[in-house]
Amino acid sequence: MSIDELALILVRGLGQGAIYALIGMSFNVVVNSSGILNFANGALLILAGVLAYVLLPGSPDWLVWTLAAAGIAACLLFFVSLQGIVTLFPLKSSVEQHSWLVTTMAVSVILSAFIHLYGGSLAFRVPAILQPVSVFGLSTPAAYFLVIALAVFWFFVIRWFYQKTFTGLAMSAIAQDLDAAKAAGISVKKIQLSAFGISGLVLATTGFVGAPVINISADAGIGYLLSGFTALVIGGLGSNVGALAGGALVGVLSMFAAYRFGGIYQDTVTMGLLIAVLMFRPEGIFGLAAARKV
Amino acid sequence: MSQDLILANASGRQAVSPHRRIPMSAWLGILVTAASVFVPGALGNQYWTYTFTLVTLYVVVAIMQNILISEAGQMSFGQGAVFGIAAVTAAVLTGLHGQPFWLSAIAGVGAGLVLGALFAAPALRVQGYYLGFVTLSAALVFPQLLIALDNITGGVNGVPAYVMSLATPIYGSITPLSILTVVAAALALLFHAVLPRTPLGRKMIIVSNSPEAAQALGIHPGMIRSTAFLIAALGTAVAGVLYVPLVGFVGPTAFRVDFSIFFFFAVIVGGQGKLLGPIMGIWLLYLVPNVFLADFSHYRLLIYGVVALFVMLVFPDGVVGSLAKWIASRRSNVEKVTISLHDALRDDDTRPVETIGQRPLIEVRNARKSFGNAVALSGASLTVKEGSIHGLVGSNGSGKTSMLNTISGFMPLDSGKVELFGRDVTRLAPWRRTRLGLGRTFQTPRIFDRLSIWGNVQIGREGYKSAPGGNEIDKLDSQAAKWHRQDPSLLPHGQRRLLEILRVMQSDAQLILLDEPAGGLSPEERADLARLLVHFRDRLGKTILLVEHDLSMVWNVADEITVMETGVIAATGRPHEIKSDPKVRALFTGGGDA
Repeated sequence: MSIDELALILVRGLGQGAIYALIGMSFNVVVNSSGILNFANGALLILAGVLAYVLLPGSPDWLVWTLAAAGIAACLLFFVSLQGIVTLFPLKSSVEQHSWLVTTMAVSVILSAFIHLYGGSLAFRVPAILQPVSVFGLSTPAAYFLVIALAVFWFFVIRWFYQKTFTGLAMSAIAQDLDAAKAAGISVKKIQLSAFGISGLVLATTGFVGAPVINISADAGIGYLLSGFTALVIGGLGSNVGALAGGALVGVLSMFAAYRFGGIYQDTVTMGLLIAVLMFRPEGIFGLAAARKV
Repeated sequence: MSQDLILANASGRQAVSPHRRIPMSAWLGILVTAASVFVPGALGNQYWTYTFTLVTLYVVVAIMQNILISEAGQMSFGQGAVFGIAAVTAAVLTGLHGQPFWLSAIAGVGAGLVLGALFAAPALRVQGYYLGFVTLSAALVFPQLLIALDNITGGVNGVPAYVMSLATPIYGSITPLSILTVVAAALALLFHAVLPRTPLGRKMIIVSNSPEAAQALGIHPGMIRSTAFLIAALGTAVAGVLYVPLVGFVGPTAFRVDFSIFFFFAVIVGGQGKLLGPIMGIWLLYLVPNVFLADFSHYRLLIYGVVALFVMLVFPDGVVGSLAKWIASRRSNVEKVTISLHDALRDDDTRPVETIGQRPLIEVRNARKSFGNAVALSGASLTVKEGSIHGLVGSNGSGKTSMLNTISGFMPLDSGKVELFGRDVTRLAPWRRTRLGLGRTFQTPRIFDRLSIWGNVQIGREGYKSAPGGNEIDKLDSQAAKWHRQDPSLLPHGQRRLLEILRVMQSDAQLILLDEPAGGLSPEERADLARLLVHFRDRLGKTILLVEHDLSMVWNVADEITVMETGVIAATGRPHEIKSDPKVRALFTGGGDA
């Protein structure tokens, strides 16, 4: 393998990995405050991409692009908060604490079905805001670099949020000890809802910024969902550092598999990785042993 | 009678031998399924015979999915892939390679089991949503691989496969295949009906409710989860193989992700855990969009999603579950019955076992454990002698429960050593320690409402098989018929504790750890509990480590007492010796908590 092939795999792999890491972080925000893994995360990412397709003109300028980004962020903030209400509602009274698996999966199926009705199974092409960049003489879409920057951005914003804002501190409190947080007078449901909202913002920006390099089609959501979750399992559930590391690993490995064996084996490699990690190191390669008993 | 269990018996009837009775709903399910295929079949309506044979195959898959969800408590979004791999394997062998169908069918079931094993392998280590993701990834990857490996599978073109001998009508439009399908569905229903009353079914229910309790009963939770996935794969693969001669063609688009999710939703919509749930779920989700709303078939996925969401929000028990609840609420002739625990306590002519000796059964040395800055144990040592009742007391947070968890293996130590029965078990998993002869109860009793009261007692001796020994089960057998029908969900807290204690008594455990057994008991019940503990020791030769806040009870029954304070041992000795110890006095006067 030549050096420029390696560079190609590395750059594109890290770019894809950043998308997985961002999906992982959006899982983390919600799972840390409520123990819920949102199975609709993949479909929500695609939804953001479809909205980008709808809103962006053929060759957008920065103003339109920024406005569209803000609009989509607001849209998903609202929608995912609404989903949060729907998901948290049955947990209030019922002893059945796994209803979230069904409700989030149902939302995922509904979203995919709508996207399918709107666009069939073809992929939407979303115009890029920046010209492709030349890496070792190979033209590389700028979106790969933008999503890497976005992953770093959200990593620090979420860290700042957890450490410096009241809602963020309350979220850390809930993650560490739910009963103590309740006793301290934290309104748990409100905090959990804001976590859903934040995960919506992360997914909206990821789907929008990454749109030119994301496969935006009705069926693609589940693939992204699984890659994001695999990144998380490798990095250790709940850890954003882990999500970044795991995302990079999944991205580069699956890009390598796509390059070597063909794109159709990308998900197969991810699945193999997921099963291997769960069997041999269920607490994650980078993660500390999870104290939470599922 | 203070030690009586008072509970409501919803049915009021006392069956003589209810042990293996098949519920009416199972027979009803078989009848409905058979009628759905054979009535149009006898009338010679090919379309409806075909449709309901296909629906019945899907019912088989949904029953397996139901067992996974409700008995084993595991999520699978990948049963469609298991069905698909069995169908494709059988179709390729008969259709492309001209192998006889029975051989292809065996290979197909084998392929389904291989995929089932792929789900079962991570199930050894993890559970719940982790497996949801694993199975979902298989459902995603499977159709991709069918296309990628097109030189084997026929790729996007699929494989035509006809099996004349199975597809030729023998009466009306009834074919041998439709009979086979109904038989498969009937067997699946009967299996699901009987499973919760078998040891395996009980273990599944325990593992899904509380993996810790399962370990304390000597059950390896991972093995049970894996077994559940393999059983589900077997039934699903059989259905997948029968799909081949029915449809006559197997293509990759039939087994996409939504096919797997369809089965999951069908169980949720029908009613998880209900025998008739899968039938109702599949009929609703398959027939309504595909047959009655055929013009809207491209809204099929949307309908699945909306219906599943609606059911989860409005009828979380599903259609059949909500109906069953409604019927039960109308039938309100609840009759109170009383069960006496005296049988367990009954004095008989068994001679006292003389085993109080000097051999230590538990030996904890210099145990240390901390969670970050919080220190649970800081160099605590404890010795419990064979045939004794050993009390472990101390204020809240002094490390008593940590000590129990260290001994039973739920809390691995940072440093130190644990020996049970003279064997170093410091690194042994909890379920392995149980199998050495260790039993325990939990602060919050682990009672399984899905099992009858008798089932809850019985799992004590089913957790593991060990050497035959003095076992009290014969005495309680007289209660079996009564307790079989009774649901423990109505038991008050204190009596749930007694039930858990009875369970650990039924096991072969020689060494029993009790975590605050007197909590929530009335003074009379406490007196009975004290009698029971002495009975365990004197008649059955058991060794008991007792963590308890009721100090007067501990001082009455214990042979030796250890006092803990902030993770270390403050005092240890015979009751009368340490009663004057200032630390012990502080406990007595230290408020209601001690």
